[in-house]
Amino acid sequence: MQIQAHETDDALLKRAAKGDERAFTELYRRHQAPLYRFAVRMTGSSWAAEEIVQDVFMMLVREPKKYDPDRGTLGAFLYGVTRNRIMKHLERTPRDFSLDDAGDACRESHPQLHEQMTPARWAELRERREQVRAAVMDLPSEFREAIVLCELEEMSYDEAARALDCPVGTIRSRLHRGRALLLAKLEMLRDTPKRANVGRR
Amino acid sequence: MTCEEFAIAGLDLGSPEQDGPLQRAAREHLRECPHCAALHENWLTLRQDLRGLGAETAEAETPSRVEMRLRQEFRRHKTVKTQRAAFVLGWGLAAAAVLTFAFTWMNWRMHRSANVADTQPNVVHAPASNTSTAPRPSTDSDSGEVLLASNNVGDFTLLPDSMPPAPEDATIVRVQMQRAALAALGLTVNEEHAGDWIQVDLLVGDDGLPQAVRLPQTVQQSTN
Repeated sequence: MQIQAHETDDALLKRAAKGDERAFTELYRRHQAPLYRFAVRMTGSSWAAEEIVQDVFMMLVREPKKYDPDRGTLGAFLYGVTRNRIMKHLERTPRDFSLDDAGDACRESHPQLHEQMTPARWAELRERREQVRAAVMDLPSEFREAIVLCELEEMSYDEAARALDCPVGTIRSRLHRGRALLLAKLEMLRDTPKRANVGRR
Repeated sequence: MTCEEFAIAGLDLGSPEQDGPLQRAAREHLRECPHCAALHENWLTLRQDLRGLGAETAEAETPSRVEMRLRQEFRRHKTVKTQRAAFVLGWGLAAAAVLTFAFTWMNWRMHRSANVADTQPNVVHAPASNTSTAPRPSTDSDSGEVLLASNNVGDFTLLPDSMPPAPEDATIVRVQMQRAALAALGLTVNEEHAGDWIQVDLLVGDDGLPQAVRLPQTVQQSTN
């Protein structure tokens, strides 16, 4: 059976629940990227993100009835499940962040940038990014997810509120706290002697 | 706008999330307060870094091996589901067949025992007939026995000066009495056997008086 581009997620999920593999594949392709990015940015690990996204879609294969269309969109539901998996992962491994892993991801995603810059400039940029990344990863998870969704993912407050299933006001306050914490942390890092940064790695 | 208010709402300056009057107030405060202007400057730099960080993974996607694994799992799950459905269907059909057989067998058994009961002579559990003297189960007030008798009307002899009772009022009572007592009911008795004890079925009306009498087969044979 052909998949129509405008076919809704709910219709695709129904077909997938009846055993239509193409419908399931289409659903996966529609939703995997933002979920993966969210998981990568929250966990700081591409391996963990891969595992989390796989778990989320496995759940959709095995228990498609867990999703109730009356309670929201499939996208929001998948975000919610991903978020729960991320939280479990963070509880299990509270500080599972590899700068090398993140650096590799950066190099892979911007090969031209890497080639165009001088080594000194590249090192400086990389150091700065790593500081920011480390500061984001140090945030408490509720502030981190607000920062990830609204600043890194560039979602609107409404979209973030829907994804996290919370009021817009909660997003605003978490963002405010998260930004303040980030600023404080990065100001502190800037004033810290270089040696301390190296030691931190 | 105060510095505290700016710290809360001012960082959204220029964002579509902030409404017009609030933006104007924030811009005005920025011009007046160098501390908040520095804070805003820092925030803009940090936001640029955050956006850069986001851009690093903006094109990131789940590796294709995940899709392969998920599709494999989907196929496996589909097969398991089909097998489970076939299993349930098979057992359902088997259970239905067993139930049908059991029901048919019970029906046949009941039908057969009913036929056997119909062929048995005399004393049976029988419903009241639609004839005028049809018998039905009753209690014997004299002897305490509860008896059922054939509803064969022809067996009963109406007592002199009595009318056949309505079928719903008729009760058959089996009693034991001396043959001589039949004379009291207006029947003629052989004097040689007047002292014999015999069993008699009495058809009793709703007034409690016997309306007809019948001698069971064995007794009739012995009295003759």
